[in-house]
Amino acid sequence: MQDNIQSGAAVAPPPPSPGTAIKQSQPVAKGSDAQSVLKRLQSELMALMMRGDPGISAFPEGDNIFSWKGTITGSKETVYEGMVYRLSLSFPSDYPFKPPKVKFENPCFHPNVDLCGNICLDILQDKWSSAYDVRTVLLSIQSLLGEPNNDSPLNTQAAALWDNQEEFRKMVEKFYKPSQ
Amino acid sequence: MNTEQQESYLISSYQLMASSVLLTTLPSHFTKLLQLYFKHKLEELNTIVDGDSEDGCDSLHNERILKYDKLDEMNIDESNYDSVLTKNNCLVKSIGRVVLDLRNIGFKAITEDAYAFSIFQHLKGKVESLAGDDYRTPVLESIKRWIQAVPLRFLHDLLSYLGDLYSYGNILSSFKSPLASSPLSYPGIDAPSEGLVRWQLRLEYFAYETLQDLRISKLFEIIVDYPDSSPAIQDLKQCLEHTGQHSKLVDSFISSLQHRLLTAGASTNDILHQYVSTIKSLRMIDQTGVFLEAVGEPIREYLRGRKDTIKCIVTMLTDGSGGNASAAGNIGDSLLEELNRDTENQEAADNNEDINADDKQAWINAQRWDPDPVEADPLRGSRCRGKIDILEMLVSIIGSKDQLVNEYRVMLAEKLLNKSDYDIDSEIRTLELLKIHFGESSMQRCEIMLNDLIGSKRINGNIKASKLQSLIGTEQGQAMTLNHLDATIISSNFWPTIQEESLHLPSSVEQVLSDYAEKFHEIKTPRKLLWKKNLGIVKLELQFDDRSVEFSVTPIHATIIMQFQDKTSWTSKSLAAAVGIPVDILSKRMSFWISKGVIFESGQAESSDHVFTLVDDITDSNRNGIAHETDGMDEEGERTVSSVEEELQKEMTVYKKFIEGMLTNFGSMTLDRIHNTLKIFCVADPTYDKSLQQLQSFLAVLIEEEKLEMRDGQYLLKKRAT
Repeated sequence: MQDNIQSGAAVAPPPPSPGTAIKQSQPVAKGSDAQSVLKRLQSELMALMMRGDPGISAFPEGDNIFSWKGTITGSKETVYEGMVYRLSLSFPSDYPFKPPKVKFENPCFHPNVDLCGNICLDILQDKWSSAYDVRTVLLSIQSLLGEPNNDSPLNTQAAALWDNQEEFRKMVEKFYKPSQ
Repeated sequence: MNTEQQESYLISSYQLMASSVLLTTLPSHFTKLLQLYFKHKLEELNTIVDGDSEDGCDSLHNERILKYDKLDEMNIDESNYDSVLTKNNCLVKSIGRVVLDLRNIGFKAITEDAYAFSIFQHLKGKVESLAGDDYRTPVLESIKRWIQAVPLRFLHDLLSYLGDLYSYGNILSSFKSPLASSPLSYPGIDAPSEGLVRWQLRLEYFAYETLQDLRISKLFEIIVDYPDSSPAIQDLKQCLEHTGQHSKLVDSFISSLQHRLLTAGASTNDILHQYVSTIKSLRMIDQTGVFLEAVGEPIREYLRGRKDTIKCIVTMLTDGSGGNASAAGNIGDSLLEELNRDTENQEAADNNEDINADDKQAWINAQRWDPDPVEADPLRGSRCRGKIDILEMLVSIIGSKDQLVNEYRVMLAEKLLNKSDYDIDSEIRTLELLKIHFGESSMQRCEIMLNDLIGSKRINGNIKASKLQSLIGTEQGQAMTLNHLDATIISSNFWPTIQEESLHLPSSVEQVLSDYAEKFHEIKTPRKLLWKKNLGIVKLELQFDDRSVEFSVTPIHATIIMQFQDKTSWTSKSLAAAVGIPVDILSKRMSFWISKGVIFESGQAESSDHVFTLVDDITDSNRNGIAHETDGMDEEGERTVSSVEEELQKEMTVYKKFIEGMLTNFGSMTLDRIHNTLKIFCVADPTYDKSLQQLQSFLAVLIEEEKLEMRDGQYLLKKRAT
């Protein structure tokens, strides 16, 4: 790893009230921590790129390493096979001690995803651990597609329909809008 | 009066009628006939003049004429010369009579054309025979002298006979004229008439042009012969100064380059050699380097497309004396020389600065200023054209000196690792020269590598000394002692990545290595030695019943052959296990011993398990003889250090993954955006440091591999057909 942080434009001088809220465009970070967060995200990006797991991908957006775009392809032999979903990931300034905020960008018909794209996944909330990284988050979401948690649905219609896979597939296709 | 007038009028109208009738009824080959006649006469004249000098050698003869001219000495050899002149005169008179007769019947124009034509023909023949295919002697001067000696004198005599000259004086007496030493003087001719001067200029220009065309058409060969052919280049330079047909040179040379040099069949070394020669020879012709730029561009362009260009350049730079082929050695010498030359130049320049007052120097420079030739590309400006630096031009092929330095580092590493003594004098010298050229900081790592070698020598000596003191006499019985081991200790951070290969060394060797490492630890605590067991050279001697043979081989080869010490037959699988390398590598290495006739391979073609047996009677099968026995090192053609190319490949895969990653998430992106994104996020090892152009060509490769596609200036991932 290099200490070269100048090239990443993400480091801003610490504002007076750090760590409370994350604005979409301007990441807020404590001076010394900012560097380690940056390093961590860079190495995660590197690892993700080099692993090249099939069906998942993510990349920082613009020149801001705290805000990424992700892509998940539905696994084979699930109702989501062949579907490509866009995600947005935004990392807090105290990442990895807080989970990133992950949302679906295009509509996804799924028991644990609401109509705005919010995801109900334990590791993105209370079960978060700093041992997780972008890759594991993406893999978890990918497997969540095939194995929804129907006990705490955000989309009750989808949860109810899950048992009928053929109908469910039709709904998925009806909902699906490829991005761009 | 009246009748006289009438008579002359009648005669002239009769002449007119007669000549017009003659002209209209002339056979078509009449002009040819005339030309032939003059040609023949000229040849006769030439032989008379030639015969003047005893051995018929042109240059000797010409010198004599020149002597007459310069010294006004008529006494030497006067009788001989007179006789020649008389004969000459007779001949000219007879020609003159013919010309006069022809004139009288109105064929003035035809006649003049004919003898002019024959003179030019003759001159052309002369130039060609003099210049020929010999590039090692300057010919221009002798051609000029010949022009004055033969055609000009002939013309002078002819014109004076015809009364076209204003000087009617006796030809012989004119030799003694004091005007003979004036700048525009001809042997035996004084006060040159305007017509004669014009003739001289015409003839000389024609000679320049002929010689120039001749040389240009052979420029490729001439440059191949450089520096032996420099007289020919000097000639060409003079010709071009008079004719100004530089563009002809550029065009013809470029086309011959395309046909003969820049083809797949030419080796990169040859091309580079030719390129260097071209630079040097064109530097002679044209100091400003404008034509060199024009000619050099196709070569550079072509060389950029070759993969081994950098490697060849570095080899040329560094392999001063030790090239394998003699030709390669020559190139290396010339480039090293070039490095030296630069240094001297720089020193000289420094001295100049000390001596000269600035104003004075500026004035001198200003006086020396010449406008750029018209062919110069105005866009490029006349920047520092004056200085043509071969190294700079070679570096410009590669793009950046960093790449060159990197390649040099890899090559240096390779060289140093294969050294068994610690003799690095020549490397130090080369490095010093390179440092002057490329700057100290860029060569720093190489310097550390050389220092490692120097340090190794010292430590190696220390370790052996301490070992000898403490353990003298106790290890006599052991097969291997530290005395047999010389280590090169490197600071791996500063060396290029070294390829690792696992290897089980024989236990006795292993023992010595760990002894050595222990000693090292004692001397240099807290540092420890980590062995790279696959590197180095092993000198070993194989003893057979009837003879013994010496080899210098890599550790792997040595390890393999040592296994046969106790057991003369191994299957490939068990041998691979014993040595600790994969079977395929083993069989590759084994081929060395098999080719030496030391090992015999048997086994079915289908089964992967071959049996290797030691050949006892080496003399029977050792067809290769002893001559080749020390070349086991190079034969593999394998590198112990990962090459720059591989490193580049590695970098490129990282970039490829990044590009694929971003395109997956953003759909399509422009070149600029990909470039900027890589710049921002690809900051870890390897840092993205490519130019926009490099990225573009890389993307083009990816498109070719059908990984990407491009639409409306946007790159996107190629959809896989499912």
